[in-house]
Amino acid sequence: MKLKLDKKDLKPFLQSLMDEYNLFAPAQLAEGVYVFRKIDHPDEVDLSCSNTQKPAKEVFFPQSETMFRYEKAGKQHQVTSAEEVERKRVILGARPCDIQAVSLLDEVFLGKEYTDSYYINKRNATTIIGMACGQPLSTCFCSSTGGSPFLRKGSDLFFIDLGESFLVELLTEKGKSFQKNKFFKEAKPEEISLAKAIEEKAVQKTDASVPIEGIEKRLDLMGESLFWDRVHEICMGCRVCTYLCPTCHCFDIVDEGEHQQGQRVRNWDSCLSPLYSLETSGHNPRPSCRERTRQRLMHKFSYFPTNFNKVACVGCGRCILYCPVHFDIRKAILWTSSKRPKEFDGGMI
Amino acid sequence: MVLKKAYVETTDRMLRTLELSFINEEDAKAFRFIPGQFCELSVLGKGEAPFGIASSPTENGSLKFTINKAGVLTTALHHLEEGSEVGIRGPLGNAYPIDLFKGKNVLVIGGGFAFTTLRSLIVYLLHPENRNKVKDITVIYGARMPGLLLYKEELAEWEKRKDLKLVVTVDWGDKDWKGKVGLVPNVLEEVGPASENTYAVICGPPIMIKFTFPKLMTLQFPNERIYTSLEKRMKCGIGKCGRCNIGHLYVCKDGPVFSYAQLEKLPKDY
Amino acid sequence: MEERLKVIQDRIREKAKELLSNKTVDLIIGFGEGSLPLRTTIRFIRNPGKVDRLIWNSFCENNLSTYLHKLSQSKVGLVVKGCDARSIIALSLEKRFKPNQLFLIGVPCQRMVDRRKVSKAVQGEILQAVEEGDQLIVEGEGFKKVLNRNDFLYPSCQVCVHRTPIQANVLVGDPVEESPLIKTHPEIIEFEKKSPEERWRFFEKETSRCIRCYACREVCPMCYCAECFVDSSNPKWTEKGLSPSDLEFYHIVRAYHQTGRCSGCGACERACPMDIPLTYLTQKLNQDVKELFNFETGIDAEAPPPLSTYETEDKQEFIK
Repeated sequence: MKLKLDKKDLKPFLQSLMDEYNLFAPAQLAEGVYVFRKIDHPDEVDLSCSNTQKPAKEVFFPQSETMFRYEKAGKQHQVTSAEEVERKRVILGARPCDIQAVSLLDEVFLGKEYTDSYYINKRNATTIIGMACGQPLSTCFCSSTGGSPFLRKGSDLFFIDLGESFLVELLTEKGKSFQKNKFFKEAKPEEISLAKAIEEKAVQKTDASVPIEGIEKRLDLMGESLFWDRVHEICMGCRVCTYLCPTCHCFDIVDEGEHQQGQRVRNWDSCLSPLYSLETSGHNPRPSCRERTRQRLMHKFSYFPTNFNKVACVGCGRCILYCPVHFDIRKAILWTSSKRPKEFDGGMI
Repeated sequence: MVLKKAYVETTDRMLRTLELSFINEEDAKAFRFIPGQFCELSVLGKGEAPFGIASSPTENGSLKFTINKAGVLTTALHHLEEGSEVGIRGPLGNAYPIDLFKGKNVLVIGGGFAFTTLRSLIVYLLHPENRNKVKDITVIYGARMPGLLLYKEELAEWEKRKDLKLVVTVDWGDKDWKGKVGLVPNVLEEVGPASENTYAVICGPPIMIKFTFPKLMTLQFPNERIYTSLEKRMKCGIGKCGRCNIGHLYVCKDGPVFSYAQLEKLPKDY
Repeated sequence: MEERLKVIQDRIREKAKELLSNKTVDLIIGFGEGSLPLRTTIRFIRNPGKVDRLIWNSFCENNLSTYLHKLSQSKVGLVVKGCDARSIIALSLEKRFKPNQLFLIGVPCQRMVDRRKVSKAVQGEILQAVEEGDQLIVEGEGFKKVLNRNDFLYPSCQVCVHRTPIQANVLVGDPVEESPLIKTHPEIIEFEKKSPEERWRFFEKETSRCIRCYACREVCPMCYCAECFVDSSNPKWTEKGLSPSDLEFYHIVRAYHQTGRCSGCGACERACPMDIPLTYLTQKLNQDVKELFNFETGIDAEAPPPLSTYETEDKQEFIK
């Protein structure tokens, strides 16, 4: 039996979620600017955007997170960890690409030797309600990265926007615990077929032609290629791509406060920053944009796959949409393949 | 941990060795490490950074770290009073491949203040329980000037030992210096250790490594038997924050000790 | 309009070909076709045979002078609008490049179209955009809309009175009439009506969504400090997280570091992924500089920025 949620019941449904969970959903900060954040009132939730600027990974891996607080008590310091999650959470409205990215982050943070307890506590405490992409953008290439606008993997519940209602699929144990939710009604046959039609159309629309398959091996052969001298040229090192990328996971750890009292915080960082790899001696292994751009592309498409057998890109297209100089990562990937234009001149193809 | 003792190592006062002891007995018992590993030390409010462990696991009770005063945290570490608290996370990283050294000769080449973890290795190998596990030990250690040599008292003791060949050199001597004067790569050539059945461990500033490495090649050392400990900017120390990667490996987790055979296959990102 | 744009485009290509062929420059930096409508990308051309990749339209919104900080050794030809050329004058006063290093291909600017504003004017994704005369025709799945380009220009372009890059080595179009479409930035008009408390609340609200990506800083030609104040750890001016006071501090200080140096090109605002209206800050400061010191950035190649000089006539009433 398939379920649905009528849109007129959405706000009460959200309120009922908020009674039990901390709800994280897209909210509009300004016209056209959306982020995932903790919702204080159902009116804040805005599911109309194709995708948020800041990705859903924020719910598990916040941009700025206190790790522990300390306070001097006599000769020693009292240290209080901030890794516990006070209340269980629900994330609503995450797109399949962002959810696929979270599973890539799992590989990093839930490692064999060391586990990131800040991440895993949030991860375990969260139920994910994924939202299918009925209207992918032309920049969406999730189908080239092993994803799809209707990828259900990673979601506990899956919503499909049908216009007047959402079709609701309960996928995992966590999802099935919502079986008896009073706002979920039985879906009508025409609603189920509409969902199928939307799915078929959406899957056709995303770009499956980006040659990501086998890119790791191709990049291994490109060690000192002229490609690296050219691909970085138009990049201004602005870092927008790394801050909006759902799979980027680099962070910095700093102490805030003074010796008496303060906290240790971790903040997102970017390998495109000149200071990122600067050593105390003054030596910087990545002194120019060339090395840093190379690091970014190699990490996503070669180093990460070597460690985890998957590329660290989910085809969300944010880097293409928001890059101030319109660097198109699809073109960089295309150029590594045999389908590339004969010459790679200055700038991008 | 708590700062037990601190003393200046070099005449320019930029290097200071801190001897730290554990606050809790259980931590002291549980902390097991191998030479080559490092710890992340922190002073709350100032920050945290990785430092190679200079003491050997055979020196029970306290840990020694030699700190170069270079920034906010290291200055704070230099100014700590005895009895002050120091945060520690460790032991982290891989270690020198002690198991591979069994039954072989060991050549240790150190330059400047990269000698810290090499001290850990040498003290470990010289310990009565370990000395006869390896055959000949040769140590070549150079600094720019006599005042900048680390662990001067220990060097003097080691010079007297018969079970170790120690050659200390400086780039420029002073009026009191009676030892060798010469750059490490040239001294290595002069000493000319045999490469057969020998493992080389080399730690030093990039410029020293750049000129010493070809000399090791001339002496016929194969890449699989040359090890080094790499320096890289680190933060988490456990392979999560992404900062210290060289190719697909992380210096904090898969290193900092690498063989040259491994490094050959990685991008020159260090 | 599009005729004029085509003529300019052809002349840019001609000039680029000439400069590369006779080796006046090693490299030409200009605009190229983007893979999305309403976008251009940047082209670095070294081969005179490839100049047909250079284009000119109303989406050539970037300030290419920022690249000069990356290219200290090459002889470079740059395609510049009025604002970009003024940035270059400001940079030359700060001795950021050698005098004979540059060749400026100046384009009298037709004012650039605000692509985000255009996207917000329709429902759905724009898949095609064509300029025809003063019209911008946008099409997507199930819609086609004709917009008047003058309703969709960047505010910094609407107030601009220096659209002709007189400082360039060559102009590839006729100089344009230098009258603004509006006298003052609309946000500044609103801002000036506010009381100090209201101004602060507006500023607080807009900066609260800043994600400290520093795109505004990196794309700005005038931000080239080897170590920016926000990255300094000793002294530590700000923390590195998202505390509102740090966000506000960063934007205030950055705006003030631009005073007397900013050409109003709008690159900061166009780069910001969170749509923070940054130019109202810099434009307001530019306005104040004009009133107080009768100075505009990048007009006089000899006049140093007012905040780097002292005149005995400078007003001092603010010193209490």
